[in-house]
Amino acid sequence: MAAVPAVPSIFSGSTEAIALVVLLTEFAMLRAHLSRSQVRLYAFQSLAVTALAVFVAATKHVDQLYVLAGFSFVLKVVVVPSVVSRLLRDARVDIASSHRFGVATMVLLAIALSVFGFFVVGSLPVHSKSLPAPALGLAAAVILVAFLLVTLRSDVVSQAVGFFALENGVSVASLVVAAGLPLIVEVAFLFDLLVAVVVFGLLMRIHHGRARTLSTEALDRLQG
Amino acid sequence: MASTHEFRDVEAWVVAVELAPAQIQVLQVLTILVFAPLLSGWIAHLEARLQGRRGPRILQPYYDLAKLFRKETLVPEDAGWVFVVGPMVAFTCYLTVPLLIPVLTTFPLPLGYMGDILGGGFLLGLAGFSVALAAAETGGPYAQLGSSRAMTFGALIEPSILFVTFAVALVTTTDLPYFEAAAARASLSQVIRPAHLLIALAFFLVVLNDTGRIPVETHAGTLEFGMIDEARTLEHSGPLFALLKWGSAMKQMILYVLLVNVFAAPWGLAGSGATGSVVLAVLALLGKAFCVGAIFAIIDNSFSKLRLFKITEFMAAAFLLSILAVLVLYLGGG
Repeated sequence: MAAVPAVPSIFSGSTEAIALVVLLTEFAMLRAHLSRSQVRLYAFQSLAVTALAVFVAATKHVDQLYVLAGFSFVLKVVVVPSVVSRLLRDARVDIASSHRFGVATMVLLAIALSVFGFFVVGSLPVHSKSLPAPALGLAAAVILVAFLLVTLRSDVVSQAVGFFALENGVSVASLVVAAGLPLIVEVAFLFDLLVAVVVFGLLMRIHHGRARTLSTEALDRLQG
Repeated sequence: MASTHEFRDVEAWVVAVELAPAQIQVLQVLTILVFAPLLSGWIAHLEARLQGRRGPRILQPYYDLAKLFRKETLVPEDAGWVFVVGPMVAFTCYLTVPLLIPVLTTFPLPLGYMGDILGGGFLLGLAGFSVALAAAETGGPYAQLGSSRAMTFGALIEPSILFVTFAVALVTTTDLPYFEAAAARASLSQVIRPAHLLIALAFFLVVLNDTGRIPVETHAGTLEFGMIDEARTLEHSGPLFALLKWGSAMKQMILYVLLVNVFAAPWGLAGSGATGSVVLAVLALLGKAFCVGAIFAIIDNSFSKLRLFKITEFMAAAFLLSILAVLVLYLGGG
């Protein structure tokens, strides 16, 4: 009989649970039909990442993580979602049922991809003082599923939200690997996100202005 | 004076008289058998109340069963013996499953190790199969539609059940429901570990599917095209129909018991055979089952039914949760 696997401590159990919420939100984005609900899910996911940062800061006494959590709350939970939803309101496009496959198929594909991420990262000898190792596997799964979101949904909003969610995955990974990273690096990283918001905002505007739609289906056709 | 003396006697009797394990085991079956219609009545009543209707009284399912048992049985012309035997086999299966699962006690009863989670699953599967056969035997189009759909969706939800079982096996190194419940009772860190939360959630979705609730099926609908489980019983009448109705109420209660006493809230069970604690365990079980019923009634009233071809999305969600549970366990920790 195999030995009974060790029960994770309350700390690592709850951090893994929060990381799982981040991953499950990612799956919900993959499924969501309305662009609006995708943006809301992104805000929720960012909230979970912020909560993770606060939790690590409080239990491991890494004070600079509070500052990071504050920045990430203001930027990712409030500013970015409101900017994207304002763009959506201006575009007056509501529905983005742009799945290239059925939802069940996409979820199964995403499961396969996250299994791959889990096992590849799980075999790396990474040990962290601040977060349990499985959280790194979860972060890798978030990043891979974000790629799937970008490739398998054919509308600009999904691609923008997918990219932002990818940044959330990287945030979780950086919390695992380098919670003690100098604050300036982390903040610079967050401002990268702002650049991405500007770029994707421009993309949405210009694409909607030219094609009268947010779908990217028609991009491979010649116009003249 | 005499009455207080008597009272003390009763009190002493409640504490001192130990029920034999075999007696408790019979009591487990009786608990499910007797209280299953009450649970159905409670959910129907609550649902009606939430919709602003007065609704049937809570005891209505008992009156329905009594009425049906007094009626005659009509068998379709072309139906053979399977039509008659099917409901009986199913009912017997539902009587057997409570022997295997922790209904009232934390400690395993003599026949408790006769089958594991998969064994209980097989029995529930056999029950579903025999009802489906009995329905297919009639030649009635709606009953056949129901039985074919029930088998299809039953097969689609199966992977989630299997992965829940795998996760239980990884946590406890057995797949006996008693051990999973004991693990959850052992410490708080067992309860909040992600694997436990995920399998509890996945099993919740499985129960939602298997009891024929929204978003998979409208429970009290009369429109045959949306029916899955309900359509199978359309051709039965009289005592056979009563057995089917009673059986499905028992199946619902068995699944609730598994949900609360194995995964979600395995507290409040009897730790010994003392009469008092066993009676308390029955009351606690009823309380927990009523709470779960209330949650299901609220879900019934707040969501709409999924289109038939969208039900796979629901199954995919249940599968996602259960496979993630196994994965985080494999990654270490979890």
